[in-house]
Amino acid sequence: MANYAEMQQIFDDIRSDFRYDHELNGCLNCGVCTATCPSAHFYDYSPREIVQLLWTENVEQIYDAMQEKIWACAQCMTCAARCPFKNSPGGLVAIMREVAIARGLQSAKDVLRPFGRVMLKLITTGNQLSPDMIQPDHFPDWGPNIQKVEGDLKVLRKAIPVKTLQTVDTAWEVSLKTSVEMYTIWEMTGVLKSLEMMDENLFDVIEDFIDEKKEDYEDWLEEQDED
Amino acid sequence: MNPTDNTPGNHNANGDGATKPGFHNTDGQGIAGHGSFFQETNLSREEAVKATDWVRKHVDRRTVDLGDRMDDIREHMWELEREGEIIVHRITDAHKPMTVRTLFGWEKKIPTNQLWHHKSCGQCGNIPGYPTSLLWTMNQLGMQPGRDYLDETDQTSCTAWNYHGSGIGNVESLAAVFLRNFHQAYISGKQHGFDAGHFFPLVHCGTSFGNYKEIRKYLIESAELREKVKKILGKLGRLVDGKLVIPEEIVHYSEWVHVMRNRIASELQKIDVSNIRVTAHVACHYYKMVHEDAVYDADVLGGNRTAIITSVAQALGAQVIDYSTWYDCCGFGFRHIISEREFTRSFTMDRKIRVAREEANADVMLANDTGCVTTMDKNQWIGKTHEQNFQVPIMADIQFAALACGADPFKIVQLQWHASPCEDLVEKMGISWSETKKRFQEYLKEVEQGNIEYLYNPELAYGGAQ
Repeated sequence: MANYAEMQQIFDDIRSDFRYDHELNGCLNCGVCTATCPSAHFYDYSPREIVQLLWTENVEQIYDAMQEKIWACAQCMTCAARCPFKNSPGGLVAIMREVAIARGLQSAKDVLRPFGRVMLKLITTGNQLSPDMIQPDHFPDWGPNIQKVEGDLKVLRKAIPVKTLQTVDTAWEVSLKTSVEMYTIWEMTGVLKSLEMMDENLFDVIEDFIDEKKEDYEDWLEEQDED
Repeated sequence: MNPTDNTPGNHNANGDGATKPGFHNTDGQGIAGHGSFFQETNLSREEAVKATDWVRKHVDRRTVDLGDRMDDIREHMWELEREGEIIVHRITDAHKPMTVRTLFGWEKKIPTNQLWHHKSCGQCGNIPGYPTSLLWTMNQLGMQPGRDYLDETDQTSCTAWNYHGSGIGNVESLAAVFLRNFHQAYISGKQHGFDAGHFFPLVHCGTSFGNYKEIRKYLIESAELREKVKKILGKLGRLVDGKLVIPEEIVHYSEWVHVMRNRIASELQKIDVSNIRVTAHVACHYYKMVHEDAVYDADVLGGNRTAIITSVAQALGAQVIDYSTWYDCCGFGFRHIISEREFTRSFTMDRKIRVAREEANADVMLANDTGCVTTMDKNQWIGKTHEQNFQVPIMADIQFAALACGADPFKIVQLQWHASPCEDLVEKMGISWSETKKRFQEYLKEVEQGNIEYLYNPELAYGGAQ
C-alpha cells in the first residue's frame, strides 16, 4: 500500500504523459461510456468512474482503481467513440497501465502472470500468436472442433498456399534481421526493462533467447562477408 | 444544521474536517448547488473568480481542443514534409487509387495496386484463410505477385495486441515498430527492380490499423516523439535522407475490398448468394479509434455507419440483416481472450452470437479483423454448458467473397481452421463440404510429398524474382 506522497507521484506520472490532455477534456457524468462498455457488463468497472477520478484528481481512488479496475478494460475504445467530450477512457486506462508497470505494482504483476506465454512469443518473435499455441490442450473451452481436418500440424500449415505462412511456431516467417531490429527497439524504448520489472524469470528466458538470436545474426553477417 | 462527515452528499471532508485531496470546494459543506446542501458561499467577486478559475481553465481548453480535433492530421503531415522533417510515402497514379469518403466527408485515397501486405499475427497464426483469400482474390483480378503486390518475411507485427493487453510497451516502441515496418514497405520494391515507394502498405489487422493511425497522429503532433524515435530508426538504418517515412494514408485491407467490391462481384462472382442472410460485425479498432478516418458511404447503411463489410456483402447480392447489438465489441479484450476467457466467451455469446442467431437468423457473421473472428468463432462450443445451443458461422468478409467467387473452401479459404459451423454456410451456398474436404485430404498426401501449390513464387518472400 502506497502512502499519500507515492500516490500523488503515481498520479503525476499519469498526467505528465503527453497523451493525457488528448484523452481527458471534461466530463458531464452522462455515463454513455459505461453504458456501452463491454467490461462494465461483467466487472466492477466503469469508464465514467475512471474519468471522474482523474478529472477530480482523486489520487487515493486513482491508486485504488489501478489495482484491479484498469485491468478489466477490454480496450475496444467504444467509450472513446461515444464520449461527447471526446475523452478516451480506454486511452486513459492504457496510460494508467503503463504507469502501473513502470512503478512495479504487485497487482500488475499478478494480473499479467497468466499472460506470460503470449509476452514471451511477442517479444522474441514479433508475432503474438502461433499455430502451435492454438491446440486443444491449451484451449479446452474452444471445443473438440478446434479444426475441421485432423492431421499433422506441420503438414496442415504446409498446405497453406502462401510461403510466409508455412510455419508452426510463429504466425509467419520473420527474417532474422527483422527480429534483431525489433530487439533493438525493445532495448532502446525501455520495453525490456518493463518486462524485467514485471517478471524477472520471464525476462531471463527472453534475454537468453535474444542473445542467441543476435549471435546467429552476427554469424550470418560474417558468412555473408566471407562469401 | 452543520454538515458532518456522515451528512449525505458531503463526500469532500476527511474525518478531521479537512478537504480531501483532489476536491476543490473548500468548506466541507457538500457540493455547492446540489440539492438541500446548497448554501451561499458569501465569497467576494474576486474570491469567487479565484475559486472557479480551474473550471474556466478546463472548459476553455476543452473548447480549443475540440476545435483542434476537427483538424485533418494529414494537413499537418504535408506541412512537416514541406518543412523538411519527414518524407511522405505517396499514393501515386501507379497505385491506381480510388477515392472514398470518411466520417466527416473528408476524402481518403485507397490504393488498389502495388500493395505491400502487412500481415496480422492473429490471422496468420489462427485464421490463415484470411490472407490467402485476399491474395487469391488479387490473383483472380489479374494482379501479378512481385509487381502488383508483395508478401515478404521482413516485417514484424504492430505489437499492439501486447500493448493493449498488458501495458508493456509504450508509445515510443509502438512508433518505432510502425516506422520500421512502413520504411520496409517504402524500400521493398528496390530489390525487385522498382523505385522506392513502389509498394504501398496494406494493413490486414484492425488493431494494427487503429494503432498505426493513432501513432501517426502522435508522431505528427509531437516533435519530441519524432526526435526520440529518429534516434532508433537511425540506428536501424531506416531513415531516408535522415528523415522518417510516414505513409500518406493508413489503409486497411477491408477498405481495398470495399473499393473493389463491384469488380469482385461483376468479374469474379460465380455463386448466387441471394439466399444467404449476412450479419456484419465491424472491428472496434477499425472505426472507433481515430474514427474520423473510417470509411462511410451515403449509399451504404444510409451513411450512418461505416460502409465496410456491408458494402461487399450487398455488392455480392447477399441479404444483409441488421441486429440490435451491431455497435457492440466482440469481447476480445486482448488479455481477456487469453487469461480471462469467461468474460470473452460470455460477452460474445450473449451480445453477438445470440443476437445474430435469434434476431437476424443469420447464416453467417462477417468480420474484418483478427480478434473478432477468433473470438466469435472459437467461443461458441462452450456455450453448450450454459444451454446456449445456438451457433453462427464466422468468417472474414474476404473469405465470404472468395467463396462466392468459387474459391476452394479448404485450399484457399482454409475453413478447416474455423471452429464455428462454416460447413452449414458452404452447403447452403451449394458447395459440397464433404466432397471438397475429401479432395483436400487427398491434397494433403501430395503436400507430404512436397507437391505444394502456391499463390505466388515462394522466392518472392525472400527478395527473389518473380
